[in-house]
Amino acid sequence: MMVGSLPVLAAGANGLPYGLPIHPNLVHLTLGLFIVAIAFDIVAALYPLEKPIFKFLAIPLTSSNLYDVGWFNMVAAAIITFFTVAVGFYEIILAEPDMDIVSPWGLGAMDTMVWHGVGGVLLLGLIVGMTIWRGFQRYVWREDRARQVQWSYLLAGLGIFVLMFAQGTLGAHLGGDFGVHVTADRLIRAGINPNAELLNVVIKH
Amino acid sequence: MFENLLPPLNNHNLPYPDTIHPIVVHFVIAMVLFAVLCDVIGYLTKNARLFEVGWWNMVFATLSIFIAIIFGQIEAGLATPYVAAASDLNLHTLIGWALSGVLAVITGWRYIIRLRSPESLPVAYMGMNVLLTGIVFFQIYLGDKLVWVYGLHTEAVVEAARGGLLR
Repeated sequence: MMVGSLPVLAAGANGLPYGLPIHPNLVHLTLGLFIVAIAFDIVAALYPLEKPIFKFLAIPLTSSNLYDVGWFNMVAAAIITFFTVAVGFYEIILAEPDMDIVSPWGLGAMDTMVWHGVGGVLLLGLIVGMTIWRGFQRYVWREDRARQVQWSYLLAGLGIFVLMFAQGTLGAHLGGDFGVHVTADRLIRAGINPNAELLNVVIKH
Repeated sequence: MFENLLPPLNNHNLPYPDTIHPIVVHFVIAMVLFAVLCDVIGYLTKNARLFEVGWWNMVFATLSIFIAIIFGQIEAGLATPYVAAASDLNLHTLIGWALSGVLAVITGWRYIIRLRSPESLPVAYMGMNVLLTGIVFFQIYLGDKLVWVYGLHTEAVVEAARGGLLR
């Protein structure tokens, strides 16, 4: 097991058939794209107030530029999140968490995984729903309006931020507390010193 | 001097519940990669509207990377890296600072391009986009190793390090 490169060791030791978990990387995209989409729609909706600031910064723009960011980022968030959730379920199925400890929220490993899984599907539904809602506002209901988005849409977006925070914290508990798919944590729990083991691999490599 | 002003370090060796750096880097990773994607699609389809989306995502990424570095330094300082993890943490730090300069320069260049010829992007800029994507992917790889291989700031590693078990 120790022969070969680090990814080979990691692939064996982290409980996945590959060296680094993929789900947390796709999460960057889901959250980044969604949050920035809502943020730019908020900036666009408040554009009349910000006009002097952009003028002061010598950045020419129209509010339709900002709404484009709100729309295209949201579409991308919806597309990528199908993969985020799919990969998340694959990696949660392969999880072997420490069952004896509880998270800072007082949940055991199984409860945390179930809530994170349910939350993932719920958020996927909400993100897709928001994208469809956004599309109707952009192309049908408010095509000719100066303000392309409804206040209720922006408010819903802020509400989803709160759900995302809870969902993200549950995910952080899975990695940071239960050690799911963390190579060093799993080595420690197996009674192996990760420093010696990983260093060994680094030197051989 | 400031020890008494901060909350005590928790079982992640942090003065707050969970690491913040990986959250802030959402806005660097996602925005840079999506900006490049918008530029590429805009370039191939000659859709200048997508160039606007690319530009604004780059602006957001550039603002975010400095916040990411601040939290990255705080959390690296509290990471108590063991020998096996140290060189990857050093390289991640070095590339992170360098990337802030690279991103700021590219976004500045983009600002000028946007003022002068908003309808098109020069080939050289697209080449820089490719290079930028490469650096970002390598930086993600290093950051992933720090969390998911070395387990820095995870409960088990912090506990082992405090017990002197990671020598």
